[in-house]
Amino acid sequence: MDTLNELLNGFAAALTWQNLIFAFLGCLLGTVIGVLPGIGPVAGVALLIPLTLNMDATGSIIMLCAIFYGTAYGGTITSVLLNTPGEAASAITTIDGHAMTKIGKAGAALTIAAIGSFVGGTIATLGLVAAAKPLGELGLLVGPPEFFALMVVGISLLVALAGKSMVKALISGALGLLISMVGIDPVAGAPRFTFGVDRLLDGVSFVAVIVGVFGLSEILSYRKGESTVVHAPGFRSLLPTGKEWRRSAPAMARGTGIGFGLGLIPGMTGSVASLLSYGAEKKFSKYRNELGSGAVEGVAGPETANNSHANAALIPLFTLGIPASPTIAVLMGAFLQQGLTPGPTLFTEHSEIAWAIIASLFIGNLLLVLLNVPLVGLWTSILRVPSSILTALILLFMVIGAYTINFSVFDVFVMIGFGLLGLALRHLQIPLAPMVLTLVLGPLMERSLRESLEISQGDFGIFLNRPISMVLILLGALIICSPLLKLRKPKALMDDDPET
Amino acid sequence: MTTESTMTQSPARARPARSVLAGITAFAALGAYVLVSSVGLGLWTSLGPGPGLFPFAMGALLASMSVLWLLQELKKPSAAGEGADRGLVTAVVVSLLVLAAVMDLLGFQLSMFLFLMYHLKIRGKRSWLSSLLTALAGSVGAFYAFNYGLNVALPVSSINVLNLIGL
Repeated sequence: MDTLNELLNGFAAALTWQNLIFAFLGCLLGTVIGVLPGIGPVAGVALLIPLTLNMDATGSIIMLCAIFYGTAYGGTITSVLLNTPGEAASAITTIDGHAMTKIGKAGAALTIAAIGSFVGGTIATLGLVAAAKPLGELGLLVGPPEFFALMVVGISLLVALAGKSMVKALISGALGLLISMVGIDPVAGAPRFTFGVDRLLDGVSFVAVIVGVFGLSEILSYRKGESTVVHAPGFRSLLPTGKEWRRSAPAMARGTGIGFGLGLIPGMTGSVASLLSYGAEKKFSKYRNELGSGAVEGVAGPETANNSHANAALIPLFTLGIPASPTIAVLMGAFLQQGLTPGPTLFTEHSEIAWAIIASLFIGNLLLVLLNVPLVGLWTSILRVPSSILTALILLFMVIGAYTINFSVFDVFVMIGFGLLGLALRHLQIPLAPMVLTLVLGPLMERSLRESLEISQGDFGIFLNRPISMVLILLGALIICSPLLKLRKPKALMDDDPET
Repeated sequence: MTTESTMTQSPARARPARSVLAGITAFAALGAYVLVSSVGLGLWTSLGPGPGLFPFAMGALLASMSVLWLLQELKKPSAAGEGADRGLVTAVVVSLLVLAAVMDLLGFQLSMFLFLMYHLKIRGKRSWLSSLLTALAGSVGAFYAFNYGLNVALPVSSINVLNLIGL
């Protein structure tokens, strides 16, 4: 009953006109970002964090969450109409989505995708409501050793699943942790790795690093593309037939379950959820033989799974303070910038903000449907803008984004430097996701490690003497050692995901 | 690297790519630097772990993974990713560096206008009208939208004459 009351209070806060506008703007901007090839959700959310810095914490996080799941749908539009996924999680949708476009069913594909996203997102948010309190209370029992061990498991999973080489993933993770250590040491107060540069005493700006590594490096790796001709579907063709609805329903149900389950596991990205969902359709759908030639299940399942994953991935963040994916890690960075620490204490110290954000997820998912289905033509027209103009405007926003973090051109230089680093990492096929995660978790991880060792007076055995941390540490070790044990990982699922 | 690309590698290419070796060397050097610096920061204090402990562990991880990567490359070289368009990289990076260097001096509007004109007119070969309109919207338009709409202050010129005319 308490939960229901708090959720209702959350709705009261989320339904104020200011917060509704923020959610609407977030969905709008997120969709545009999703449509733009190259700027994925990670860079997109990071790029827009500076816009929200002057806003109140609730409005700011509401808007960033809306941007986050808006990008998930935006990517679908280009997948269906152009055979070009705007972001990795929509890649699988190109198969049947674009095939549907070729047979004149683009409108139906986009509507099914929007409804599927709504269904998946809403059910996953209900899961968040149900899990928030009990998991949050459980989280309060977690001490520094358990928290450190939990982060070890999260990072291990991401490292184990990122890309094709564990060695490269570990290099990426170590780089992120090292970058996070630049600045004043939190315990002794001594400067670390600042090279005498005063600007680095506060550390390297997280947003500038992310925009550089994900956004700028993407632009730097552009190649001359073919020109595309977009034919937006007319409004009347947007409605799917009764048969298409009936065929989509089981796929949406399976997609919701798969997305929700994977959203809870750190390291599993939206692309894994959509790919597994497509695999499930191939195995369980009555119409599996039609998959690949424009079957509606091939759109409904992955798109539902993708959004279900996006919303479910907020559960570990809200309840335990562990980001489950690179985009959630960026979102966590935004929480921290607003003075909010995601995790169990979020519900005790900022209960009203936490519930307002959760309520806004329901509203945002609904707004996304209302906004996207009728405006498909508008979104596709973005792609008619010549690439030279798009690139110039994206660079403009990157510069503004980096500058406004501290109102200093120093952060623009940081962004440029990390853009070049990102380009080098892409060239060397080093996954970027572990770096983002460790960049956010680094300070928290170091603090919990040091607190644990202070409690134990320097005895590392503290991690193995306490049952929960022991199990978690062993689990992390098992995950990292899994290649030695020849345990299979879903490599094929991760291969083309630029986030990993 | 895909299995196929591994299979189709000619014997002449069975050595690590230069860029891969350069990358490994850079990571190993960074790891070694962090290891040495961390010792200087102090690994342990009377209160417990010192500021250098965690970086030390990360430096060790980076250095050891670089060595492991090198061994993997010597055994079975991997293909580096596709090369970038050097012209594009140089143009974007140099123009961004110049923009960042002059932004406080010329102000956001003028420096961003020149930056956008370069990318639209010179690199993008857009028409004068389209370049001018987009550059004006992106510089002056963005300045006013951010300054007055979002209350986010973008820099104005430190040169008096430019400042006086609102740039």
